[in-house]
Amino acid sequence: MQRYRIRWTKVGRVRFVSARDLSSVWERALRRADLPIAYSEGFSPHAKVSFPDALPVGVSSTGEYAELTFAAPIVPARDLGALSATLPEGMDITTYLEVEGGAPKLARMLRATLWELEWPAVDADELTDVLSTRGRQLLDAEHAEVIRHRPDGDRVVDVRPALLTLAAATRSGPSGAAPTGPGGARTVLRAVLRNDGPTVRPTDLLTALATDVASGTVREPDVAPPVITTRIAQGETVDGGLREALSGEIAPLVLDVDAEAA
Amino acid sequence: MLGAAPTIAAPPLPSRGQRAAYRRPGTAASVPDSVWDALEPLLPEVTKPAQYAGVEHNQVRSEWGAADTRWLLCYPDTYEVGQPNQGLQILYEILNERPTALAERAYAPWIDLEERMREGRIPTFSLEHHRPLWAFDVFAVSLPHELGHTNLLNLLDLGGVPIRSADRTTEDPIVLVGGHAAFNPEPLAPFVDAVVAGDGEEVTLEIDAVVRRWKLAVVDGSADPDDRHQLLLRLAAVEGVYVPAFYEARYADDGRLLRTVAVEPGVPAIVPKRTVQDLEQWQYPRKQIVPLTETVHERFSVEIFRGCTRGCRFCQAGMITRPVRERLPETVQKMVEEGVKDTGFEEVGLLSLSSADHSGIGQIVRDLADEYEGTTTSLSLPSTRVDAFNVTLSNELARNGRRSGLTFAPEAGSERMRAVINKMVSEEDMLRTAEIAFSQGWRHCKLYFMVGLPTEQDEDVLAIADLAIKVWEVARKHGRANKVTISVGGFVPKPHTPFQWAPQDSPQEIRRKLALIRQAISKVNNLKLRTNDPEEGVIEGLLSRGDRRVAAAVERAWRLGAKFDGWHEIDTLPMWTRAMEETGVDLAWYTARERDENEALPWDHLDSGLDKAWLWQDWEAASSDDVVEDCRWTACYDCGVCPGLSLVHDTGYDGGTNLPDGRVALPVLPTGLGGAPDLPTQAERYVGG
Repeated sequence: MQRYRIRWTKVGRVRFVSARDLSSVWERALRRADLPIAYSEGFSPHAKVSFPDALPVGVSSTGEYAELTFAAPIVPARDLGALSATLPEGMDITTYLEVEGGAPKLARMLRATLWELEWPAVDADELTDVLSTRGRQLLDAEHAEVIRHRPDGDRVVDVRPALLTLAAATRSGPSGAAPTGPGGARTVLRAVLRNDGPTVRPTDLLTALATDVASGTVREPDVAPPVITTRIAQGETVDGGLREALSGEIAPLVLDVDAEAA
Repeated sequence: MLGAAPTIAAPPLPSRGQRAAYRRPGTAASVPDSVWDALEPLLPEVTKPAQYAGVEHNQVRSEWGAADTRWLLCYPDTYEVGQPNQGLQILYEILNERPTALAERAYAPWIDLEERMREGRIPTFSLEHHRPLWAFDVFAVSLPHELGHTNLLNLLDLGGVPIRSADRTTEDPIVLVGGHAAFNPEPLAPFVDAVVAGDGEEVTLEIDAVVRRWKLAVVDGSADPDDRHQLLLRLAAVEGVYVPAFYEARYADDGRLLRTVAVEPGVPAIVPKRTVQDLEQWQYPRKQIVPLTETVHERFSVEIFRGCTRGCRFCQAGMITRPVRERLPETVQKMVEEGVKDTGFEEVGLLSLSSADHSGIGQIVRDLADEYEGTTTSLSLPSTRVDAFNVTLSNELARNGRRSGLTFAPEAGSERMRAVINKMVSEEDMLRTAEIAFSQGWRHCKLYFMVGLPTEQDEDVLAIADLAIKVWEVARKHGRANKVTISVGGFVPKPHTPFQWAPQDSPQEIRRKLALIRQAISKVNNLKLRTNDPEEGVIEGLLSRGDRRVAAAVERAWRLGAKFDGWHEIDTLPMWTRAMEETGVDLAWYTARERDENEALPWDHLDSGLDKAWLWQDWEAASSDDVVEDCRWTACYDCGVCPGLSLVHDTGYDGGTNLPDGRVALPVLPTGLGGAPDLPTQAERYVGG
């Protein structure tokens, strides 16, 4: 049995595929690439592909991960390359790492996520200012409770414990994950959220930032939802960003173009 | 609000006079803008957004300018239901293989997205490039049943195309329909430009050639670019193409149809269906599309034969797809192996109307079971034949998995009723088959029945419960947890069958009969009854045997909001009831009335190959409980289909099935009878998963 950990992307149109449908997308791609993936035992065997967590439908990602168990040895560069080629457009394997004996669990290597929220090319300067100011206030606060609306009822979530750092900036180059709408300067918010502990999603963070934290009262949000949300990478938090779990590369919190730190 | 996204407007619909530029052949055409940018921001708000994204494995994306003719193939229901359709898959491949053509696909957007599309003026779009319907040359729609008719009007309207043929010009696509419900297209006559009955492979390519020649003639000045009539005439000259506008229905004073007559010089009085004579020449699918989201059938499918010789009198599919044409076992094997490799599907479906009837089925199943034994590839054979052989085949197919459920279709409860419908299964057959199935470890058995069949009495209805209880007793003998489910649907008489003259039961009567069954089995544990809403048969019945006058009700019902008639999300029956009142359509006259021998039927000018006199004779035989044998194994009874086709009369009773080119396939001994497994009753047809 050989195990590989991979980092993969889910960008463009394929981001609308649900986590529930993804396992058969992977299983069929593995069969097309004719790789000796291992199968679980039992009446309805499933390919041994495990995902650390589910990405919400519609969210883009360059920081998805999976662990693949093979029943026979593979030639990773060639075989995982073939797998990447037969995956749907927008799904690509970008990094792989063979799992050595005694390696920590994948989930333990993915303690934090760098998220990016990008707004359309309107109100960029003002919005970046507002988010920078509110971001500082949020980092200074001990708690930031928001209400998460769900079909099965509302829940109060404290965003603050999960928030490690954030920065807002104005980006004028081409859009990041999915080029959408007209060009021009756009506000981009990057934040590192902890993966351990109660789940806090970028939507919860936005709820906290879309109202004036300092006022402390319930107000109507005055910031629109971002046009695209991207899970950039997962790994460990470090100064200035996130150390990606498989490659060790640093994904920066602050963008180097037209950057303005919070 | 800061950072609010400006609404991305859909590319505007060009006004009339501006659309011809998009339709030019080749690179001379203007390329219509994709609607994706306008659509994308709506997707996070709607259910199952992946169905609108495209990007499936094996989709074909050709440049607009790379083709002379551009087709939009459509199944007028959701992606989930329509994507697995085998017919459209085949046409998609053969059109895209032709260097001068391109084909993209469209499905009906679900109610939540359609609402937002209308607000944002986003037209019906293709999945490959998200291009608008109005820009294509041919909008080819498969009508597998009648409950997609309102969706067809809705898709046209949403797509920027006038719903009535008479209002369309050369700036609009040709609206072409095919599929089983196209065997009576009269309720859609004012809305469609051309209809094809029968097998689509050859005629689609012929139509494509006609459209291309016409377009090239427009370019070189030898055809009038505004003369749509001329284009329709050229289409009508293709064998099997019916252009409703060239025909008129004439009625008697009492409202009965006298005749549908050709009123355009040169068009045929009777339009024949098309029949592909040798399936070996059409080895599709090769590159089956692999969906990224859940659909009703996720498997690689190979049609192992087309047609059916069982002669079940209720079964339209069995009648209109005659004669039987089998694929060679080695071709089936090759298509499966290549298809599984290419798609990565975990399941293989061996499709036909009664798959256990292929004369080489034993070999096909054994070879494939050998090939995939010990792998994760599973095989399925949609067959509902009531016999031991069917269980044997199922055992082979279940080598890799567990023996969970088997399906049989006795269709009726009493011996007399089964003789009426020509379903030659005895109670003894059924019980012996159940005994074999449960003794060999199968744990669940599903039985299909119908109520509302011609000449049915309450005792026939109660016989369904009796038979079900007897099967349940067999099941229980082999395990207390074993289960039996009976699925009972209301019968809807269909055109081109011996029951086309029969009265249809009212929903009240169907409900009463279902209640009789429910009461009779109420005390039995682990025997479940599944039924569907009897009201559903009302619209299906009206549209199945309706004439051109029903079209007014179709349009009115759609304007009142009817769509997705086969679903339960919208209660469309009140809309239909009001539409029928307003347009003077008498439901009972169309559905509950028994027609007589001399009455003209709205589909008489469409020739399914079956001789009307033979159908009448078979209808009379039904009334006297006479049966006819399966002509695959017995002497020909001259239903009318085979003469004229260059087929060796395809029977196996003299020792082998004769195939073209002198090939002979060995017959297996037939026992018991099957049904129409891949064309389930309404209850099954619309259920996901």
